[in-house]
Amino acid sequence: MRWAIVRFPGSNCDEDARFAFAKVGLRAEYVWHTETSLKGFDGVFLPGGFSYGDYLRPGALAAKSPVMAEVARFAREGRPVIGVCNGFQVLTEAGLLPGALLANLNLHFTCKAVGVRVERTDLPFTRLYGKGQVLRLPIAHAEGRYYADPETLERLEGEGQVVFRYAPLHGEADYNPNGSLHDIAGITNEKGNVLGMMPHPERAVEEVLGGTDGLPLFLGLVQEVAR
Amino acid sequence: MPRYQATLLIELKDGILDPQGRAVEGVLKGLGHPVEEVRVGKVLEVVFQAENHLQAEEKAKAMGKLLTNPVMEVFALEALKELP
Repeated sequence: MRWAIVRFPGSNCDEDARFAFAKVGLRAEYVWHTETSLKGFDGVFLPGGFSYGDYLRPGALAAKSPVMAEVARFAREGRPVIGVCNGFQVLTEAGLLPGALLANLNLHFTCKAVGVRVERTDLPFTRLYGKGQVLRLPIAHAEGRYYADPETLERLEGEGQVVFRYAPLHGEADYNPNGSLHDIAGITNEKGNVLGMMPHPERAVEEVLGGTDGLPLFLGLVQEVAR
Repeated sequence: MPRYQATLLIELKDGILDPQGRAVEGVLKGLGHPVEEVRVGKVLEVVFQAENHLQAEEKAKAMGKLLTNPVMEVFALEALKELP
């Protein structure tokens, strides 16, 4: 299985992503955002960073990149698409996931480890986690407050499209780091092949870097080939 | 072809909490200004060519739509003028 890691001007988690893919033995190659074909790839990863310096809105200009037509095709065809942090912002701006990500309630760029509860384990991305398991994952963003109108939220909850939710790590009451509605940290599309999340699983694959709770997400993708 | 300048105003929808606006509001209140509410938006001035005013208006609205995220924002064509 061959993964494309799309690089936009301003992406900065691209190397972390490739490191994580390599760690589980998956091939991953960088693809510049002006490419018009993702032929030969099986999955696509949109990394974190500050594409176009977050100008206009985070992810807004990247969402109009030439490569995004191919990412939309992948989404349509049921191939796995993952967007982390700025990648999640790009996916919502491109309309491949519902809702939007607004400025954190406290207006701070927040960089720390948070608790993230796994709500669904029937997806390729989460099959190696336990339902209800609380992961320790890093976040690093200024615009991560998930927002959607009440009808969309109801649909997301009804269809079980909320994959990750912020949760207390040590019983703390203020566990939601950005004011996301319904504590949403990550969602999927109706088909379950497009994942967007603000926490960084690719930055949690080495004990020395603070934990390995992100590793099962990538290991689950290895099984996707075998299936 | 005539040149036009469109002024597009992009704002967060009503009902969406605007922490930036709240922060500005707090500062103004702190300085003694009797402020009720502040909301922060964006202004884009776009210069482009069009056949006539009607076409310019259509183009400006199309660009406003393209640059707005309908989930959280609304845009208004605040002004449209022909440039000399």
